Amino acid sequence: MGFLQRLGSAFSAIIAFLVGVITLVSLLLGGNPGLFGDLPQAADLAALLALPAAVLLRLVALVIALGVLIGIANLLLTHAQRLMRGRALSAALLGSFALTLFWYVARAGDTSLLEAVQLPIESSLAALLCLTLVGGAARVIAKRADIWSLLFVLSLLIVLLASLPWAELEPLRAWRDWLLRVPVSAGTRALLLGIALATVVAGVRIALGQDRAYRG
Amino acid sequence: MNDDFNWLEYAEPLAEAPPAPRPSALQRLRARFGWLRLPGLMRRLRLPKLRRRRGGQNADAGYALLEARDERPISQLDARLLALRERAEPAINAEAALSTVDELLTTPPLQEKPGGLISAAALSQAQRQQVQMLQDIVGAPAPAAASGEPARLGALPGLTLGGAPRLLLAVSMLLAVCLPFVASEYVVDELPPSDFGGDRADAAAAFEQLNTLTGTDYVLVALEYGPTSAGELDQLTDLFLRQIFAQRAKPLIVSSNPIAIAHAQNIIKRINGSVAAAGLKLVNNADYFLLRYLPGGALGTRELRENFADVARVSARGELINRNFKALTDMKLLLLVAESIDVMRNWVEQVLPASQRLTLLAATGYAAQPLAQAYADSQERIIGIIAGARDAYTYAEKLEAAYSTFKPEGAPQAPLPQPTAPPLTPAPESEIEAPALIATVASPVPAAATASPTPLASPTVPSIPSVTPPPTASPTPPPSPTPEPVWLVEVTSEDTARIRRGPTTVDDILQLAYAGDTFEVIGTNGDGSWYNILLSPRINGWIAAFLVEERYEAGGATAADASASLPREQTLLRWDYRASLGKNQPRLYQVNPTDTSIDWEYVLLRDRSLEAPRLAALSLGTLAAALIIVIGSVVGALRAIGGRRQPPASEAKS
Repeated sequence: MGFLQRLGSAFSAIIAFLVGVITLVSLLLGGNPGLFGDLPQAADLAALLALPAAVLLRLVALVIALGVLIGIANLLLTHAQRLMRGRALSAALLGSFALTLFWYVARAGDTSLLEAVQLPIESSLAALLCLTLVGGAARVIAKRADIWSLLFVLSLLIVLLASLPWAELEPLRAWRDWLLRVPVSAGTRALLLGIALATVVAGVRIALGQDRAYRG
Repeated sequence: MNDDFNWLEYAEPLAEAPPAPRPSALQRLRARFGWLRLPGLMRRLRLPKLRRRRGGQNADAGYALLEARDERPISQLDARLLALRERAEPAINAEAALSTVDELLTTPPLQEKPGGLISAAALSQAQRQQVQMLQDIVGAPAPAAASGEPARLGALPGLTLGGAPRLLLAVSMLLAVCLPFVASEYVVDELPPSDFGGDRADAAAAFEQLNTLTGTDYVLVALEYGPTSAGELDQLTDLFLRQIFAQRAKPLIVSSNPIAIAHAQNIIKRINGSVAAAGLKLVNNADYFLLRYLPGGALGTRELRENFADVARVSARGELINRNFKALTDMKLLLLVAESIDVMRNWVEQVLPASQRLTLLAATGYAAQPLAQAYADSQERIIGIIAGARDAYTYAEKLEAAYSTFKPEGAPQAPLPQPTAPPLTPAPESEIEAPALIATVASPVPAAATASPTPLASPTVPSIPSVTPPPTASPTPPPSPTPEPVWLVEVTSEDTARIRRGPTTVDDILQLAYAGDTFEVIGTNGDGSWYNILLSPRINGWIAAFLVEERYEAGGATAADASASLPREQTLLRWDYRASLGKNQPRLYQVNPTDTSIDWEYVLLRDRSLEAPRLAALSLGTLAAALIIVIGSVVGALRAIGGRRQPPASEAKS
């Protein structure tokens, strides 16, 4: 690695570190004014960093918004290339994009195409997914007959039947509530804790320049 | 492991490797900047090929890519790859290394699975060409199916005997879901209660919280769900928005999902269909506001908190929202309709800390309710979790009961009735007092707005929803059933008079007025230098005193009358920014003022005829799914016990 390359890496790491620290400290102090009690230096520091942090935050939002636009452009370009290779479905995509855009602009923001096309299609896909899940659940025991499959099927049946409005199924509701509040909630919170820890680790690595993502 | 470790730099040189000749400077230059030549540049830019190659496989993208890589001279390789190639070339015998590739990469024969709706796989023509290409590369013998005719896979899936269970599953669920819509008399289903019970005090509190809104309140409505959840959450959104409109508050709709913004527009269009029967219309940027999309998920919500004034400045269509919001504290309430707990957590953690007095009313789907409820129970500033279609039904019942005194007679369901002609004389006091029931429900909104469509002549004048401060020392005409002199001002200025949003010359211009125009006065500012006048029954403005002359007239001259008699130029004006040659040019455009003061409760009229069948379909579908799972599990268990279960393919092969 040449000297200039190492210098560039160090420079990138310093910039990333400063940006991370400014944003983090500002958001921490700004969101928790009483974090350091009445310490005047903390208030001064929060006031000093408020503007740079807001600017950085908006820059990131702008970059993300620009990324959406680039994504759309890339999608169109990719399908234009596929169209030139004779893929007819790409023509349908490009045509529907142009039609939707024209419809929205020409009819003063009319989004009825969304209501008439995208909403039914996505709802139908969700319904198909439900059908697939039911089919899969019905075949779990057939594919693997063990205690875990049995537990899975029993839990699923309790949750499904307890959601029915009939009074005869009232005893199942206590089981359903326990299942959802204790094991499911605990598992989800454990997952969220894991994600949060991983996010902190990734953030620290990026701030300290350990990750090469922005160093080329 | 240190990411900076470069194994190429620290690799031990091979003893038998001859010293690799160092590429010349010209070669290195070409390798570094060779792509600047036109063909290379075209490849870098990924422009589409204008000429399609003839001859089957050459047209395939993967083959073309491999061909292009083959044609690339070795000198164009990256320096590290070049070094690696030079070091490895003497030591590796390519033929020996690849001698076992045929055995390792033989293409397994593709087998047709026994029926099924989605299990059958099929290869497209391009995929078969790619398989053939890989076989050509590794020199594998062609399978029997590929040698002559293409593999025939999955013919008529679902029609084989093996696909019968899945077909039966699909048909039975379809029947269960459709039955309530075609033969509801055969479906027995217990409808949800008409009020939230004691164990749902949080949901009842959410209802009451929305019921305390007034005409000067703004509600930030976050719609965080996509089209897949729309079937369940649309009902809740629809109900919330109708209640907000009925309370005459104004929602600011925002989302980090661009589809949700467009979808919200359709929901409001549906509500507009309800109020159209009363000749009303909800006006964008006046009665409701569709804010711009928040990119970046949690980051977008954080940006909303930090830069709310900027986010609330421009609408989703790029129009300027002339409301001068400064911070989230301008919002009375935050209403969140989210499809997942993650999104709810984002809003609670990123947005709620902006203001200590801001509370969040949350609604979600049935699937997300358990986690959302547990999360809401741990947060003091979340009011209620209203979840799913059944809660929506209860909420609608509760809403309808609370506003039943307002409902036009004989019109509880769609189709909506045609509005009767509004009485021009004030209603008797007994009729005016009747809607006070809703005020006891917790609505401080003046009830007379619905009792009489001419609120200015009615004894109880509704509060005018406006961002302008209420007039001080306003000698408003005393309410009385008998016509009283109306305080008017007439424009006397020869020049065009400007009616502004506030009593200063720096406030926005709402409307232009000309000599002879007459307006009703509802108050003045402190020193009497500005009159607060009515432009329409729901919109007021300020005009300088030296431009007008005041007088009193007998009752009957209302703002609506004045608006009707206004010349065309005097329709309401709004600022708009239109991009022109890269420069924003503000200009005024005309907006037809809509008299929206009467019968706002028309927004509560909804078509509820499908609610009960939908709930029954939900129950029957769930029951069918449970039965299918039970039957499938029993059959599977019997097969396992009987030993007739087929071993997995991997076990059979071993």
